[in-house]
Amino acid sequence: MPGKDRKPIVRFEDVSKIYPGNIVALEKVSFEIEPGEFISLVGISGAGKSTLLKMIYAEETPSEGEVYFKERSVKSINRKHLPFYRRNIGSIFQDFKLLPQKTAFENVAYALEVDGKSAAEIKNEVTEILDIVGLSGKEKKFPRELSGGEQQRVAVARALIHHPKIICADEPTGNLDPVATQEIFDLLLEINSYGTTIIVATHKKEVVDLLNRRVITLSDGRVTHDQNKSKYILKV
Amino acid sequence: MQKSLKLWRTFKEGLTNFRRNGWLSFATISILSLSLFILAMAFLITVGTREIVRNLETKINITVSFNPDVIEEKILSVKEKLGHFREISSVEYISRDAALSDFLEQSGDDPVIRQAIDEIGENPLLASLVIRANDQGDYEKIAKVLSESEYKTDISRINYEKNKRIFERLNKINAASKKIGLIFGLVFALIAVLITFNTVRITIYSHRQEFEIMRLVGASNLYVRMPFVFEGILYGLFASVFTLVGLGIATWFMAGMTTGAFPQGNLFNLYLSELPFLSLGVLVIGVGLGVISSFIAIRRYLKI
Repeated sequence: MPGKDRKPIVRFEDVSKIYPGNIVALEKVSFEIEPGEFISLVGISGAGKSTLLKMIYAEETPSEGEVYFKERSVKSINRKHLPFYRRNIGSIFQDFKLLPQKTAFENVAYALEVDGKSAAEIKNEVTEILDIVGLSGKEKKFPRELSGGEQQRVAVARALIHHPKIICADEPTGNLDPVATQEIFDLLLEINSYGTTIIVATHKKEVVDLLNRRVITLSDGRVTHDQNKSKYILKV
Repeated sequence: MQKSLKLWRTFKEGLTNFRRNGWLSFATISILSLSLFILAMAFLITVGTREIVRNLETKINITVSFNPDVIEEKILSVKEKLGHFREISSVEYISRDAALSDFLEQSGDDPVIRQAIDEIGENPLLASLVIRANDQGDYEKIAKVLSESEYKTDISRINYEKNKRIFERLNKINAASKKIGLIFGLVFALIAVLITFNTVRITIYSHRQEFEIMRLVGASNLYVRMPFVFEGILYGLFASVFTLVGLGIATWFMAGMTTGAFPQGNLFNLYLSELPFLSLGVLVIGVGLGVISSFIAIRRYLKI
């Protein structure tokens, strides 16, 4: 477990998000994430889970309040520096968000190419990371030639390639069968065991219960429960 | 170093996209080629009309005939003076003897005509000066100056009036062809721009979700945009080549119908003579349209 003396990696301070038409997505949300934590973010659809994650990787900005990444306000990051900021954060999505015209290898390599890494470095690192997520031998397959679970592994590999401090996963197993779901969560736990902080928005009660880690419950844009070693307590 | 590496990567990326989106690339190039073809054809037709008119213009002149009693030296001194006018491009002296032999030659040495001339006993034809102007609008001025000059008593006739109607008609055709060419050119250019822009926009639209992904994995806006700009260049290059080849084939088929209409020969010869300018124009417009369309179309997906 993370020590209490460490500074939070992410901190939400009275964050509200109000969309045009007075639609409240988040309301005065405050919590901290410490390095090395594995957090499940639960709540029904529209509770504000995705909005919350988007604020971490600066796809959305708060209407009120502040989001801090390593004690630096995310809002204050210059637009030009956003691509560099995002390399600190690995993102995983329900619909995988792979580039359809690129092979598994190229999808992961792209994240390094934009960083200006040399071809040799890219080859080594991508091969290694694809091996870690269990996709050796499938480097040249296009997303359409891979199963859902395999596509999500490519996405996990891509999220990992920059050695991010934190991984934000938005319903990463929403489109997957139970076996593939378990495999992806096992993979995330393994990544977490090496020290990467992980926050997962999910619906899957069984998985959350098995994890026995911190659970943050959102309801109507508010944090209703935030407990360590918790279970999925949301009643729908 | 990093910059050139990234530039090279975005170029390679554009090339790969171009290849992997084969059908979409083909469709975009076809549309762009059609637009360019229409534009190039409008250009060729305008140039062609201008050449036809110019060809006719060189055949136009006014002939000043002198009275039989005017001596050759005097006519030559008139010729000399006329040569100094800016408006006049050439003056040709045709003596009475030369006029007669031309006439006989043109009549095919008809013995009846020869006999008739023999009976008159002297050469009935007049010595003349054939004047060609730089601009056909100047003929009227030249005719007027001559008819009011000190030589007016020496001049038998000036055949300007006879040619006047032809001049006027040619002038009208020339002015109309310029105006029509310009209007059609502009309309076609507008159509070409709209069609190309919309086609490229649809191509980019089909990639819209990828832009979000690229940005999320840390690509800068420029890095996202450059491959599409290179794709735009490739569209332009391929479309230009297709257009020039297509135009070559089209004019080659029309060559037979247009033989002798142009100083260059037929429409295909005209195409060949204009090929350097056409190639440059089509290439610049094609690549320009491709790049600018891509650049603008992608902009709306790169917000944030």
